[in-house]
Amino acid sequence: MTQKRMGYLFIAPTIALFAVLAVYPVLKTISLSFFEYRLQFGEIKTFIGFDNYIRLFTTERFYKSLKFTILFTISTVSVEVCLGLLFAQLMNKDYKGKSFLRVIVLIPWAIPTIVSGFIWRFMVNDQYGILNHILKSMHLIDQFIPWLSQSSTAAAVIILADIWKTAPYVSLLALAGLQNISISQLEAASIDGASSVRKYFAIILPALKPVLATAALFRLIQSFKVYTIIAALTNGGPANSTESLTLYTLRSFFDAGNYGYGAALATVTLIITVFIALMFLGVIQNKINS
Amino acid sequence: MIKRKSDKVLFYVFAVVFITAIGFPFFWQLTNSFKLEKEIFDIKWFPSAFTLDNYRAAFSRQPLLGFLLNSLIIAGSSTILSMILGTMTAYALARTPIKGKKIVLLVILSISLLPPIVIVSPIYNIMRSIHLLNSYWGLIIVNTLFCTTTSVWFMYPYFQSVPAEMEDAASIDGASPFQSFLLVITPMVVPGIFTVGILAFIQAWNEYLFALVMNPVKFKTVTVGLKMYEADNYIPWGPLMAASVVIVIPLITVVLILQKRIIGGLMSGGLKE
Repeated sequence: MTQKRMGYLFIAPTIALFAVLAVYPVLKTISLSFFEYRLQFGEIKTFIGFDNYIRLFTTERFYKSLKFTILFTISTVSVEVCLGLLFAQLMNKDYKGKSFLRVIVLIPWAIPTIVSGFIWRFMVNDQYGILNHILKSMHLIDQFIPWLSQSSTAAAVIILADIWKTAPYVSLLALAGLQNISISQLEAASIDGASSVRKYFAIILPALKPVLATAALFRLIQSFKVYTIIAALTNGGPANSTESLTLYTLRSFFDAGNYGYGAALATVTLIITVFIALMFLGVIQNKINS
Repeated sequence: MIKRKSDKVLFYVFAVVFITAIGFPFFWQLTNSFKLEKEIFDIKWFPSAFTLDNYRAAFSRQPLLGFLLNSLIIAGSSTILSMILGTMTAYALARTPIKGKKIVLLVILSISLLPPIVIVSPIYNIMRSIHLLNSYWGLIIVNTLFCTTTSVWFMYPYFQSVPAEMEDAASIDGASPFQSFLLVITPMVVPGIFTVGILAFIQAWNEYLFALVMNPVKFKTVTVGLKMYEADNYIPWGPLMAASVVIVIPLITVVLILQKRIIGGLMSGGLKE
């Protein structure tokens, strides 16, 4: 057997798995989005063109979930990247205990999102939550706040819980980038008498750009498909104000049994994801050509 | 590098803030898992008397042991399968002269970025038609899909880094391509494969969406099981915190023991532009 033949044989099972469980389902979802197809009507599918999309774009709940998803994505990713840079700078210092910091950042990353969601839900509880307790004992609030029953604070808690879980991971990626910056580059800058702030913006940040772009691409797309943290914290409430696009789509599929409409929602998610990926085309090309 | 004293103070101040911010939720989870219900409601920092009642309740209110076993079987099997597929695929892409490598890499990257919601409904229908809903195999197969994309991405550079002379020497010695794959090249990347295995296991153990959609009745995983404690707007916080400690302990143990490898793996994976 030649090496080439073995190569084809070796990728065949993976390609088959991808074809059946990823490529086919994507195409199926796109095609179903043009059909009226409901659980209640059995297996009957009627071609209706763009009707599902027209319905979707005239449904307020869709705009509400899209807006929440965009708000969530932009706020989590921007804060995570900023905090990640800050933490990385800290972890890159050569003091005693730095390896302990590197271990501790792994823990939020490693635990299931559903677990971290429940811990936060407990901490912000309106009757016996520690957050309310601390704020009250510091006289910042007079009464316990029902964080998850008000739409604005519920969204804030979801965003905070996600930042808590993911910023440490982003900081690890940024640290990897920092360690790749050559010391000679930095030394050259300090001989020229550059201040540390200028040095940061003139040398370090540009050198981190490829790593940050990669992290941003992955984080934006991950954040955009947010679901699990919401399932643990609010289930989309109050009054669907924290319902993400994925949660709304899932409910259209499995609660309402409206497969055609759900498929249209899923296709919108796909299109937006592709759009995000296209904004980072350079990153993708680099990944594939490396 | 010149170290100033103010830098050092700043480092430790930041470090304390950082560790508190990350650690506090875990402290709160742990301390409450040992409290009597009354003390949970009173918001005490520490239990005045340690109780294991919450742990007993965690195992009796829901079949937590069953959830753990299901997750172990599902995540473990997906990890093993995705290691086998990932090793073969990464080897083929990195070391054999096949055509269409870039397209395969693009497909793998696309799938790892693909929102699960786009494929969940067709996969549900496929699994229903072959009777794999509420089974081990259905979820194992789906988790294998996502874990394989991860494992190929991380293993590909490991295989690329093995020098070509190793293969040449093996073929001069009369080894077939398969023997050289199995006996020469792969053993050199075993540490890498091991690291990727941990990442894949964590990914599969933590998966929620497909576990909820596909196994809502039988063979529930820990992530779906945890949600079961919540009933009719009432959440038994003590048992829930105890159950989540139980779910998290295996992960944290693995992470602490193998931290060097995981950090190395994550950092090199992120750098691979």
